Amino acid sequence: MSAFSRRRSFMLCLLLVGFCGILIRLVSLQILQAAELTAKADRQHQKSVAFEGARGAVTDRHGKVLAMNMEVPSVFGVPTALESPSRAARHLSPVLHVRRDELERKLRQDKSFVWLARKVEPEQGQRLERLSLDGIGVVMEGRRFYPKGPLLAHVLGFAGMDGQGLEGLEHRYESQLRGEKRVTILQRDALGRTVFPKGLAEKPPSPGSALTLTIDEVIQYIAEKELEEAVSRSHAKGGTIIVMEPQTGAILAMAVNPRFDPNTVGALTPDRWRNRALTDAYEPGSTMKVILAAAALEEKVMMPGTMIFGENGRMTVANTVIHDHEKMGWMTFAQMIQKSSNIGAAKTGIALGEQRLYRYLQAFGFGQRTDIDLPGEIGGLLKIPKDWGRRSLASISMGQEIGVTSLQLVSAVAAIANNGVMMKPYVVSEIRDAKGVLLKEVMPQAKRRVISPETARTLTTVLEGVVTDGTGAKAAIPGFRVAGKTGTAQKIDPKTGSYSSTQLIASFVGYVPADAPRLAMVVIIDEPQGESWGGVVSAPVFRRVGEQVLTYLGVSRDDQIKIASAATYD
Amino acid sequence: MKAMMMLLGLALIFLFVWERVDVVRLGYQIERLKAQKVLLIRERDQLQVKVSVLAAPERIAKVATEKLGLVSPQQGQVFLVRQQQEAPIPASPAPEQIRVARNHQRAGFGE
Repeated sequence: MSAFSRRRSFMLCLLLVGFCGILIRLVSLQILQAAELTAKADRQHQKSVAFEGARGAVTDRHGKVLAMNMEVPSVFGVPTALESPSRAARHLSPVLHVRRDELERKLRQDKSFVWLARKVEPEQGQRLERLSLDGIGVVMEGRRFYPKGPLLAHVLGFAGMDGQGLEGLEHRYESQLRGEKRVTILQRDALGRTVFPKGLAEKPPSPGSALTLTIDEVIQYIAEKELEEAVSRSHAKGGTIIVMEPQTGAILAMAVNPRFDPNTVGALTPDRWRNRALTDAYEPGSTMKVILAAAALEEKVMMPGTMIFGENGRMTVANTVIHDHEKMGWMTFAQMIQKSSNIGAAKTGIALGEQRLYRYLQAFGFGQRTDIDLPGEIGGLLKIPKDWGRRSLASISMGQEIGVTSLQLVSAVAAIANNGVMMKPYVVSEIRDAKGVLLKEVMPQAKRRVISPETARTLTTVLEGVVTDGTGAKAAIPGFRVAGKTGTAQKIDPKTGSYSSTQLIASFVGYVPADAPRLAMVVIIDEPQGESWGGVVSAPVFRRVGEQVLTYLGVSRDDQIKIASAATYD
Repeated sequence: MKAMMMLLGLALIFLFVWERVDVVRLGYQIERLKAQKVLLIRERDQLQVKVSVLAAPERIAKVATEKLGLVSPQQGQVFLVRQQQEAPIPASPAPEQIRVARNHQRAGFGE
């Protein structure tokens, strides 16, 4: 073999080995490592991003926004990418209003991701972007915002940091309000820019549904303002006002004091945000005489003119003494309600008997939840007659030994205003999807008839007497007929276990105009100081709220009808 | 004929490449517009929040009483006047009532 031929064979072998090497490498890359390398390439080119539809808004009955979502910046750090955590903390501290040492501690952690501040103000995010610090990033997150601050806070509740409803309507309607969650894959180029999302034709995640409430923002404001003033004036612990439409059960306002701002729940305790209008039961005292009177009139045990002897303000029942706030002799049944005689009430209860009284208390909804669409409602306390003591019949007749919520009380009295038909209270009237399509419309729901229309009319006349000639004189609204009842209940002193003479609950429950009711309202003031009678503390609040709300609703006063009939205007 | 076929082949290749490039270009454009849309939605939401905050009854009452010196109408100062039955029906929907506020006790607002 010549030298040339040897060199040629050697080169051929060399090329063959080389090509074999390439072939082996190709097989290794394309076949053996194919799956692993494809996944690696996808990881570099594709980015999966979780999108969540915005949480639905909550509006009042006229579409005024009470809760909505807003995109705000959240600030994070990548400690492993930071050169100087202390320098970064020095720059961040004045922008985020977080202590420098706290930020530095977070940035020194051995982690690839730490939250530095979540859901901050948009201006803070813009300032940070201008700083453009390495290892510090800003992402946008949806924050729940309550533009009216403390208004209706106890009903609305609030949502947590991750947008989940924690209290109130936010919690009750979580599944409807929450936006859809979806993961989308984005293609990135060499510079990390998004080129083309896979499945571009896919619909974006749909936002949550919006709630329309029965609440009227203006009526709510009037109720909260007047309650705040009353609580502050009487140096009380707190209070509640509920305004309801008797014919439908729609709640127009539900005010609870002390108030809180759901935008800054922060360090507040559950005690502060609990909706006491339906989570707390109390002994109602004399307001319960309305139910007693309804039962006695319906059962014809009493007529408005039936005479009752007041025992001159002192009567013994089951070895205990019942007192009246003023000594009374003979009085009519109507006067007994108007002057709020405990002895008269006890005698009426005894005449009715345990079973009948219990039956009416149950029919009026006591001892059971009203099933309002709000979380945390309790059923109150109503013992079955078997468990009643010797004094129970007399006690329950004057509003003791029974626990009721403010909502139960106003619902029961609203039934009288509604000609004896009890309606289910509700706060959400409509649920609409993000495009405004109606998903659910809540219709007023009648629960049952509790008394006849005739009894309701008779009782209305008796309750009007409470305001014209009785303890509720300060609830009178000029130009309107007001029906209602005062109540002053003693609270149980936790130290002694007996009724306290200083810790009282002053209340007024009623409806207006009595002849064609537009509003049923309860006013509860918890532990007022000084003169603590329901007629002194709560009745004037009823008048002030009623007067403003009726004017706002455009309800004519009796005297205006007379003026209008003269048909002469300036 | 052969040259024609080659030209056609080349044209098809160019068409394919141009189409791919245009898809990528449109992808970038869509992303830019999407980002712009997000910013506009965010701005709209922020403005909506501002409107809602400014329209809060508590704030309006404060401005009305403290800044403008207005007072709530007192008893007997608000009259609701019902529309006459025989009055001609206006073309546009009119409020059911007209409110006339009178001030008997004060000479004017802001006192």
